[in-house]
Amino acid sequence: MKNFLAGIPEQVKRLSVLLVILVIVFIVVRSTLIPNDFGKIGHYRASAVQNIANNELHYAGQEVCVDCHDDIVAVKTKGYHKNLSCEVCHGPSIKHTEAPDEFKPQIQRNRSFCPTCHEYLPSRPTGFPQIVSASHNPRKICVSCHNPHNPVPPVTPKGCEACHAEIVATKSLSFHSEIPCTKCHVANEKHKLSPRDNLPTKPTTREFCGQCHAEDANSPKDIPRINMATHEPRYVCWQCHYPHLPEAQ
Amino acid sequence: MEELVQHLTPILKEITGYIFPNEVELHWGILIVLYPYLTGLVAGAFILASLVKVFNVKELQPTYRIAMLTALAFLIVAPLPLLGHLGHPEKSYEIFLTPNTTSAMAMFGFVYAWYLMAVLLLEIWFDYRRDIILWASKEKGIKKWIHKIVSLFSKDISEKAIRFDKKSVKIVTIIGIPSAFLLHGYVGFIFGSIKANPWWSSVLMPIVFLFSAIVSGIALVLIIYMVVTPLRSKPIQMDCLDKLASYLFYVMIIDFSLEALDFIHRIYESEESIKILSELVSGKLFVSLVVIQLLMGMLIPLASIAATKIFKAPSELKKMVYFIAAILVEIGIFTTRWNIVIGGQLFSKSLRGLTVYKMTFFGLEGFLAAIGILILPFIILFILMRLLPPWEEARNP
Repeated sequence: MKNFLAGIPEQVKRLSVLLVILVIVFIVVRSTLIPNDFGKIGHYRASAVQNIANNELHYAGQEVCVDCHDDIVAVKTKGYHKNLSCEVCHGPSIKHTEAPDEFKPQIQRNRSFCPTCHEYLPSRPTGFPQIVSASHNPRKICVSCHNPHNPVPPVTPKGCEACHAEIVATKSLSFHSEIPCTKCHVANEKHKLSPRDNLPTKPTTREFCGQCHAEDANSPKDIPRINMATHEPRYVCWQCHYPHLPEAQ
Repeated sequence: MEELVQHLTPILKEITGYIFPNEVELHWGILIVLYPYLTGLVAGAFILASLVKVFNVKELQPTYRIAMLTALAFLIVAPLPLLGHLGHPEKSYEIFLTPNTTSAMAMFGFVYAWYLMAVLLLEIWFDYRRDIILWASKEKGIKKWIHKIVSLFSKDISEKAIRFDKKSVKIVTIIGIPSAFLLHGYVGFIFGSIKANPWWSSVLMPIVFLFSAIVSGIALVLIIYMVVTPLRSKPIQMDCLDKLASYLFYVMIIDFSLEALDFIHRIYESEESIKILSELVSGKLFVSLVVIQLLMGMLIPLASIAATKIFKAPSELKKMVYFIAAILVEIGIFTTRWNIVIGGQLFSKSLRGLTVYKMTFFGLEGFLAAIGILILPFIILFILMRLLPPWEEARNP
């Protein structure tokens, strides 16, 4: 044994000592610094699972919603939004399950929420319903036309907008957006088949606009008024004002 | 939120085509360019040094120890860009404690530690041991103690022990060559194995990285040798310089052929990414790839070294040509890393658009930090050269 040790070169002995020290340091550091439960179930601390489980819950999960709102869930599960969880739109609502009356989930009433998915993006799949929200009925909120629990795909326009889309889009931006086309234009059914032979009517008298805009008209207060007798009496209104996008504020 | 996205505004203006939102900003910046560059210099310098020991290239003897110290200085700095990029350097030891064998990136620590401790330090130690003992015996004060500690208080300088040292150096070098290949091949593998990125995904990547590493390492040692020797008022040995330049020339030809092979292979395969890649190469990467990497960093040095060989240029002219060629090569290899790291992130995964890289000046990942990390190895090298003088005349005190 002694001969064997003497036969080892001095360098190797010294390096071996260094190596042994390094290995011992490594083992000591490893055993002190690595948490005991590391690697039990994966490349992480097993107790991390419990730590995460202890985090405060925010979402209830849609299984809970069915308990009370089975009528809405029944509609939703058949519709295009069947893969969306209730809390995607209504927000984290575990508090609502604990105190239904005190905490009400949100209802999305602004126009910025639905475009998160439905705003036009070239990367979205063809056929996925998309809009350009700046021009898609900008003065209306989404839920006034679409039922989010049972949205239906867009249909081919059958009314005036089928041909006069640009005017309809313009009007939708205007103060007149809520007035139907037929309020001012009378078009018979033949107009759809032979439009130029059956032109729709236009208002021909000042009194027509006066129904809302005359000083004594029976209409909401914030509508601009004029004195029918003094306000340019020789002209019909639309000769100066564009009714599809009236400029008056 | 406003502040978070504010710096994106100038980038958004330069985006072309369609890109996904998470591709606007590059995640790997200048520091990740430095990382393969620095490790490449290490591997290259080491492989140059091993030519002396394994293949017995006598002419390169004066550069052997310089190359070893250069490799060590750059290896010490090599992980810094990663630490700077990842943040939390205080947590870096954790990859050693709980090794994740399924992550190539997490295994870097072991590749690095193996190369540093089992190869570089061991080889330097065996090579310097006798000299350190002799130096320590004649010195006083702190330097004596540093040398004593570095020699591990070894005292044996008998004929037998020195023979053992020489044998060990040879064995370590033989282990070291595949280790150097592993170190830099690994860096290439990190990029080459990303199959979702057509600019990176290539089995040739580790090999191309390796040969460009050898090119940059040889050029670096050549530069250091040509700068340090006159500073010490010693003559530059022309046969050593010629040999260095020859090796540089041959390895560059291999490197050039490999890159050309990669290029031809891509064009012939002509996968769906070819259109966006050609747009990238002819547009945003034109200057750094075609002008700097290919023309300045490859063709001009190759042609100028070839010219000195063909026309048998006088040694003063040769020195100048070699020096300029080596500097151009260094710039060229840096842009090689740039083109791989930055280029690979400039195009969208949709293959329909390009973004742009804006480097910051200050900050942990900025230009100044990068310059600092590039200068640091030279400072370390200076200290190493003071502690362990690599010159022939220092060997026999």
